[in-house]
Amino acid sequence: MDLRYDESQQAFRAELRAWLADHVTRPWTQELRDPANDADALVELRRDFQRELNDAGFLGLDWPVEWGGRGLGPVEKNIFQEETAWADAPPVPNFLGIGLLGPALIHHGSEEQRRRFIPKMLSAEEIWCQGFSEPGAGSDLAGIRCRAEPDGDDFRIHGQKVWTTFGPWADWIFVLARTDPEDRYGGITFFLVPLHQDGVDMRPLRQITGEAEFGEVFFDGALARRAHVVGKLGEGWQIAMTVLAYERGATALLEPAKNDRYLKDLVTGCRENGTLGRPDVRERIARLLADNEVIRANAYRTLATLAAGRAPGPEASLEKLLWTEHARRQSEAAFDLLGPQAQLATRAHHARPEMDWAYEHLWSRAGTIYSGSSEIQRNIIAKRVLALPTR
Amino acid sequence: MQFDLDDERAQLKQATRELLEGESPLAESRALMEQSAEGFSKALYAQLAELGYLGLLLPEDAGGAGVGHVGLAAVLEEMGRVAFPGPFLDQILAIETLRRCPGDEARRWLERALGGDVLVVLARAETLSLDEPAQPETRLADARIVGRKRWVPFGAQADALLVTTDQGLALVPRPDSGWNATPLETIDLAQRFAEIPLAAPGSALLGPAATDAALAEVDRTGALAAAALLLGVMERSLELTRDYTVERQAFGAPIASFQALQHRMADMLIQTEGTRAAVYRAAWATDAEDADAARLVAVAKAQAGDASRFVCGETIQLHGGVGYTWEYDPHIYYKRAKTLEQFYGSTRDALEQLLEASGI
Repeated sequence: MDLRYDESQQAFRAELRAWLADHVTRPWTQELRDPANDADALVELRRDFQRELNDAGFLGLDWPVEWGGRGLGPVEKNIFQEETAWADAPPVPNFLGIGLLGPALIHHGSEEQRRRFIPKMLSAEEIWCQGFSEPGAGSDLAGIRCRAEPDGDDFRIHGQKVWTTFGPWADWIFVLARTDPEDRYGGITFFLVPLHQDGVDMRPLRQITGEAEFGEVFFDGALARRAHVVGKLGEGWQIAMTVLAYERGATALLEPAKNDRYLKDLVTGCRENGTLGRPDVRERIARLLADNEVIRANAYRTLATLAAGRAPGPEASLEKLLWTEHARRQSEAAFDLLGPQAQLATRAHHARPEMDWAYEHLWSRAGTIYSGSSEIQRNIIAKRVLALPTR
Repeated sequence: MQFDLDDERAQLKQATRELLEGESPLAESRALMEQSAEGFSKALYAQLAELGYLGLLLPEDAGGAGVGHVGLAAVLEEMGRVAFPGPFLDQILAIETLRRCPGDEARRWLERALGGDVLVVLARAETLSLDEPAQPETRLADARIVGRKRWVPFGAQADALLVTTDQGLALVPRPDSGWNATPLETIDLAQRFAEIPLAAPGSALLGPAATDAALAEVDRTGALAAAALLLGVMERSLELTRDYTVERQAFGAPIASFQALQHRMADMLIQTEGTRAAVYRAAWATDAEDADAARLVAVAKAQAGDASRFVCGETIQLHGGVGYTWEYDPHIYYKRAKTLEQFYGSTRDALEQLLEASGI
């Protein structure tokens, strides 16, 4: 065992930390609180920040240099997650492009696709969203009905996608669409589709937080070029699964680092309201701190496995359950321990200056649903890790 | 970054598994736990001593194995898996205490304890609640120790006690007349406790301040070690549950195929694997003398305690009626977990230490 960072990893952290100190002039929570920033302005701030990160060479950290990456490994990628979370830096707007599509293109895309799409993805010139889920296919993703019909050499997309995060601001969407209605898994193909065209209707979808970061998109004969199929026809399911697996663990240290900041605010708040000495408050906080360290310990285990070039074992399946369920407990504790102040909208009078607990509390209800609900995660553990019999 | 055990420790773990599965399978050790007065096999303990298991934490130049807390955790995980009965951990903690004591007498006892020739254990608690006053009531005066100690692990069988007194730590060899110990039988079959009245000659080993400092370090090892044992206890409990529910048929199918049970077992795995990550991270940090080590040990102990309640409890639950019988093994692990959770630093203590180490 050795959980130390090597010298070059430490140097990378120092370089990034110094850069963030210079470039995160205003923490993201402050930007969110500023009434001058409407939803579009916030997206532009995020776009600007992504551009700066890219110019400084901090994006695509574990991608090959020839594709605009830096040729580093999963450890540096996680250092990036950790440092940006601690610094409360603006989140990059193209996180779905960089997180999922980039790896898909690097592993399964053509030379032309990489050249065409990766640079603009990194520079935030083209924002990507993800078209996997449908109204009738969420946890049961292979049940998608959205279809791609041949039209000469190309395809026409018909159907609906939903929960399209960042859809209202996106330029392109990567879509899983059916090219064979009979073959449940082998009939799915991975398409890259421009959103600004006839036959695409992107509608904002308002969430319980009140914001409309999601969209739902309706395709009615939208054009998808043959040259924009990733991999071969019918390889879509396989590509989507390998990319999702690759991404799991690649951001293992992100959530515990965010929690560090959140828990610090919770402690500060309890100190301010004079309850930090109460045994029940202390026990509640201590358990949250302990849980967060368990999540981090598990993340190190995943990270070490990835760094050794191996596929993560059971620890990766647990990861999402651990942190999403922790997030719910943590924000519930904030509501309990900080009282009504935690429920104030971030721009309301008396709202906590460094933490938007109301948003975090509601958002924590999404975590246990998206990217495979907690129930699906437990099914996966039961089947793949414990090898329990199916009915 | 490397989370796996290195070759040396992985081999030690494997060798320990083979040794224990061969020499102390639960089917046989249950007879010892249930029927013998000692509650463990002295012959097997002698064998462990000969193989160097009592010196795992000692550096190689001091005649130990030098495998550190990571190596110790790996061994204890295996001992937890078979609910290994006896004073192994208590003896390790006494050795760790003796190592921190100057003087010839401490060294003599240390050597004999390491060789497995004598059983030495710590005798600290005086109350029934484990909520100890800062200052022990047991007194040391004129080379005599007078007082009463409770929850002395394997006290009745011990050859010497390391006793906390108002003057610091003292060593009391077993008097010729014996300890006059009263057994405190708990639910845990793999552990023995005794209450021991003391009015015997003894010698001072450390003053009060040095005692506190030494025992703080020993307690940290104790908490980590108990967490590692709990990890093995949980691991094996989950295996028992899996095996039983795959075998057991109801409604025309193995009950492990029902989603209600599958999700419960998934949660048991999550808790067990979370504990594994926390335990080995803390063990590594301790060996690396990481500034965060005390905090991480507290995390591991708190996690292991909470997780074991769930995992060992669900093991009984998912076994159904047979899980409540004496014959089946789930209760052995359930009871073992209670000792390990409550002694060696309770969850409450661990959480308080975690807050303290976090500046809260």
